[in-house]
Amino acid sequence: MTRVRAAAPSAFLAGAAVALAAVLALAPVVGAGGGPGPLVALGLFAVALYAASLALPWPAVLPWGLGLLAMEYLVSLELRRAPLDSGAPAYAVALFLCAELGWLGLEARRGGRPWARRVAGIAALALAGAVLAALLLLLAAVPLSGGPPMTAVGVAATIAVAACLAWLGRARE
Amino acid sequence: MTDRWVTTVSNRLPAYLALGGAGLLAGLVLGRPEPVVLAAPLLLAAATGLALARPPDLDVRVRLDRERALEGEEVELALTIQARRSVSWLDVELDLPRGLADLRREGEGVISLRAGATREHRRRVACRRWGGRLVGQLRLRGRDPLGFFSYRLEVRQPLPLRVYPRPEAVRRMLRPAETQAFAGNEVSRLKGDGIEFADIRPFVAGDRVRRINWRASARRGELYVNDMRPERNADVVVFLDTFTELGDAAGTSLDMTVRAAAALIDGYLRRRDRVGLVGFGGTLRWLRPAMGERQVYRLIDALIDTQVVLSYAWKGLEVIPRRTLPPKSLVVAFSPLLDERSLGALLDLRGRGYDLAVVEVSPLSFVHPGRRETERLAHRLWVMERAALRGRFVDLGVPVVTWRRGEPLDGVLAAATRLRRDARLVRV
Repeated sequence: MTRVRAAAPSAFLAGAAVALAAVLALAPVVGAGGGPGPLVALGLFAVALYAASLALPWPAVLPWGLGLLAMEYLVSLELRRAPLDSGAPAYAVALFLCAELGWLGLEARRGGRPWARRVAGIAALALAGAVLAALLLLLAAVPLSGGPPMTAVGVAATIAVAACLAWLGRARE
Repeated sequence: MTDRWVTTVSNRLPAYLALGGAGLLAGLVLGRPEPVVLAAPLLLAAATGLALARPPDLDVRVRLDRERALEGEEVELALTIQARRSVSWLDVELDLPRGLADLRREGEGVISLRAGATREHRRRVACRRWGGRLVGQLRLRGRDPLGFFSYRLEVRQPLPLRVYPRPEAVRRMLRPAETQAFAGNEVSRLKGDGIEFADIRPFVAGDRVRRINWRASARRGELYVNDMRPERNADVVVFLDTFTELGDAAGTSLDMTVRAAAALIDGYLRRRDRVGLVGFGGTLRWLRPAMGERQVYRLIDALIDTQVVLSYAWKGLEVIPRRTLPPKSLVVAFSPLLDERSLGALLDLRGRGYDLAVVEVSPLSFVHPGRRETERLAHRLWVMERAALRGRFVDLGVPVVTWRRGEPLDGVLAAATRLRRDARLVRV
């Protein structure tokens, strides 16, 4: 009885995570209008990998499942030759929530329970992530001419983000 | 307490950083904003996690509601945790020695504390087995608000807890053959001043008038007086063979021995006898016979430190100080009769003329005969060898009674009393 009670939250979280992953895999296929075979295959493989990482459990594989879902989305954009996808922020937040649900499911299998502050933190991060993603998309929509200078700015921004994270990481050591 | 925390990073953080980094690179390579948009929430989460993560800074105090408990009782461990820095998730795990159990319910012990807050947390600890132990070792596990980092800390604030054995129920004690000079509850075999009638004999000069048995004198036509037996105390030495211990999850032979010894110590000291203890095993321990309340605690404290210590050194009775085994003392030995050294010591005691009674804590209760025919045959042979060994003791006038697991000790002691009475009759 105790084991059943302990397994219940884990199963619920894992189920929700896989369902969300399936929705994320389906969305690009539907967006691509039925979808070509490779896109469906990639989506199926991503969901299978993600579900396996939760079921076995195999935490190291979980990011690969998420990465493949993101790749499927990007491939669908390339196949559609879409100029700028306005649904990207929603997809980004859903991907983040899918990742969090997956990790929570894995922790629940080891007996961990999500605590109130963490759930609130995830919700706040999802909200802030949506705002940030929308801002980035808005910024991308500004009609600016591309070229090497803009690429250099992009590279500099990437390096700045990496440096920022590295600095935060070192500060915690 | 901040610097001793062991920090572990969740797999989530490198995964988010890797996925985020891949998104940024993909954005640059593909020249599209969507990969960066996908990476944004993941990188934001990683950055927030890194910014918020700080190990807990706690002040932990542990105290026990009492230092002594009886086997089977529960004690309360109070933990006072003061947080100098906010902790969103803190799990307190008790690292208890064998014989103690944390009666923690599921989810109990997980707390969150704001900076400056103090929380008192109480935990019930079940004393499952007798023994002297140190409690107060805790494992604290903390998590940051987003669960990217976990922190571990071991706290050691050793507090002594002495768990006394629950004594076996004993109503009648073994009566010693000889008594000592001090007043007690034991009727002496010698005649003297007392209230227990012993015999009548003709009056001799110097006899007290109040001792004259008028009825006997009238019938016989000359003066007869009553002889009385005085009430004296006895010296009792409880001998524990701690060379071997057999057992399973339900208990061990040493548990039985210690509980029985506790019952005898209590019973004899209540009768104002002098009681001593000899722990005969890998290490030799003894307490000289004495009486009174202090001796109860001395003996029980010595008893709960009893354990099997591996030693190949041969030990004979010569290593026991002579005053530990006073003359005319009753020696009650609890032994599984397995180790040659303890067998030799017991036979040696009998040879020295001590009044010896052996309670064999039966190892048969702990040994399964086996399934194969050869195993059963070996078991039967072993049982026969043990019967022969008991016979050897009985031939020397030493009563040996077998105490099996689950049997009441009272019945075993009653059987020993009968054997001792019969042995005396035979000698007469």
